[in-house]
Amino acid sequence: MTPRLPARARPLFRPQWAVSIALALAAIGFLGTAQWNSSLTRGEFISSAQGVLVNRAEQLRAEQSRLLDELEGAETQLQALQELALGSEAELDRENERLRAARVAAGAQEMGGPGVVIEIADSLRSVPVGESRNDYIVLVSDLRDIVTALWASGAEAIAISGSLTEGAPSARLVSTTPIVGAGAAILVNGVPLSPPYRIQAIGPDGLHDRFLTHPAFIGRVERRIDAFDLQFASQAVDEVIVPGFVGNTRMQWGAPVREEDR
Amino acid sequence: MTRLAAQLSLSLVAIIVGIMLVGQLRSQAPAIELSSLTAQELSDLISTLGSANTQLNNELTAVRQQVDRIQRRAVEGESDLMPAREDVIRFSAFGGLTAVEGQGIVLDIEGLFTPADVTDVIHELRSGGAEAIAIDGVRITASSVPVLGIEIDGVRIGNPFRLTAIGSPDGLTSALQRPGGILQLLEQSIEATYSLESREQMTIPATERDLTPQVAQPVE
Repeated sequence: MTPRLPARARPLFRPQWAVSIALALAAIGFLGTAQWNSSLTRGEFISSAQGVLVNRAEQLRAEQSRLLDELEGAETQLQALQELALGSEAELDRENERLRAARVAAGAQEMGGPGVVIEIADSLRSVPVGESRNDYIVLVSDLRDIVTALWASGAEAIAISGSLTEGAPSARLVSTTPIVGAGAAILVNGVPLSPPYRIQAIGPDGLHDRFLTHPAFIGRVERRIDAFDLQFASQAVDEVIVPGFVGNTRMQWGAPVREEDR
Repeated sequence: MTRLAAQLSLSLVAIIVGIMLVGQLRSQAPAIELSSLTAQELSDLISTLGSANTQLNNELTAVRQQVDRIQRRAVEGESDLMPAREDVIRFSAFGGLTAVEGQGIVLDIEGLFTPADVTDVIHELRSGGAEAIAIDGVRITASSVPVLGIEIDGVRIGNPFRLTAIGSPDGLTSALQRPGGILQLLEQSIEATYSLESREQMTIPATERDLTPQVAQPVE
C-alpha cells in the first residue's frame, strides 16, 4: 500500500524551486568547468620558464604595492609626530615651515593647483604587414618627451599613472625618477605601468598651450600620434591633485654637504 | 524543517556560485598583461622591481626607526626638533637644494647630441641608482630638462659635456655600458666618443634655481 501524504503536507521541492536549483547547478557546472580550464591553462603556463618569471614578477608587484602602502602610512605618521614635537612654539613653527618647504622642493608633498591632464595609449589600428608593432604602441621616448615638454613649459609638479596601477597612487616625478621600458610595460619610479598612461601636471596659466607647441612635443610624439594613430587627449583643468612621492629619499652613496663644511 | 533545509541548500549554492564567480574573475587580468612580455623583458622587470622593493624596504625601516625615536623621546619628555632638522637636510639634498658629496662616476662625452639623447643618458643613470646628477656643473632636479640649444635650466652645456653622478660606481657604470645600452647606442647613432671613470670622492653642487612653486599649493 502506497503511503499517502497527509492532506496539509507539501512536497520537498516545488516545480519552480526545481527550476531554480537546476539553473544554479548549471551555473556551477559552467563556472566549475571554466575554473578547471583556467587552472589547467595556468598550470601548463606556470610549468614553463616564462610562467615562473610571470609569477615572480606578480609577487614582486604585490610586494611593491604593500610596501608603498606601508611606507605612505609610516610617512604620514612621522609627519604628524614631527608637527607635534616638543619644543618652543616659535621654534617648532619655524622648523616645520622649513621642513614643509624642503618636502615641497623634493616632491614629497601632495600638491594641488591648475594644470593639465594628458592621456596617451596604443593605437587601435591593426599593424599592417611588414610594419613594426613598436610603431603602434606608446614608447618610453613618448613619455619622456611629454614630460620634458611639460617641465619646459613651466610645470611645477607631475605624476604619471597607468592601467596596471589602477587603485594605486600615481608615480610622482622627482629628481631620481627613471622612466624606463620593459617590453610593453613602462616603469616609472620602478613601478610597472601599462597603457593608457595618464599624466597630470600642475602649472601656471597657458601651460597647456605651451606644452602643445613645445619642440619636445611636436618634434617626435605628435608626429607619431598622427602617423600611427596613437590615442591621445589633453586638456587644461582648473584643479589637479598630484600625490607626494612615496619611496626612497635617503642617500646610500652620498651625503648632504652641511653648511658648516663649506 | 524540510523547507528550512531547502532554503539552506539554496543559500549554500548561491554562496558557492558567488565564490566561484569572484575566483574566475580574479584569475584573469594580471597574468594576461605580464604574459605578453618576453622572458628577457620579464627578467629586466623582475630585476628592476627587486631593487625598487629593496629601496622601499630600507626607506620603510628608516622611517619606522624615526617614528620610534620620536615616540620614545616624547615619553621621556625630551625636546625633539632634531628629527625635523634631519629631514630638512635629507629632503633638501634629495630635491637638489643642497650640495651632495660621495662616490660616483664622471662621464665626459662628445657627439652631435639632441636634447633627447641627453635626457636618455639622465634616465639611464637614474635607473642605475644615481642619487644626484649634474651636467657641466648644473644640478639636475626633477624639472631640469635638456632643451634645444642644448640648454639645461637656462645654462648652455658644452660639447663635450661632463656628467657627474653620485651612486654606486659599479651600478652606474653597468647601467651606462651594458650591451645595447645608451653609450653603445650613442656610439653607433651619432659616433659619440666618451671617457668614463669612477671617483671615490666628488661633490655635486646645489641647484641655482628657486624650486618654490608659484601656483601649486600643498594639499592639507
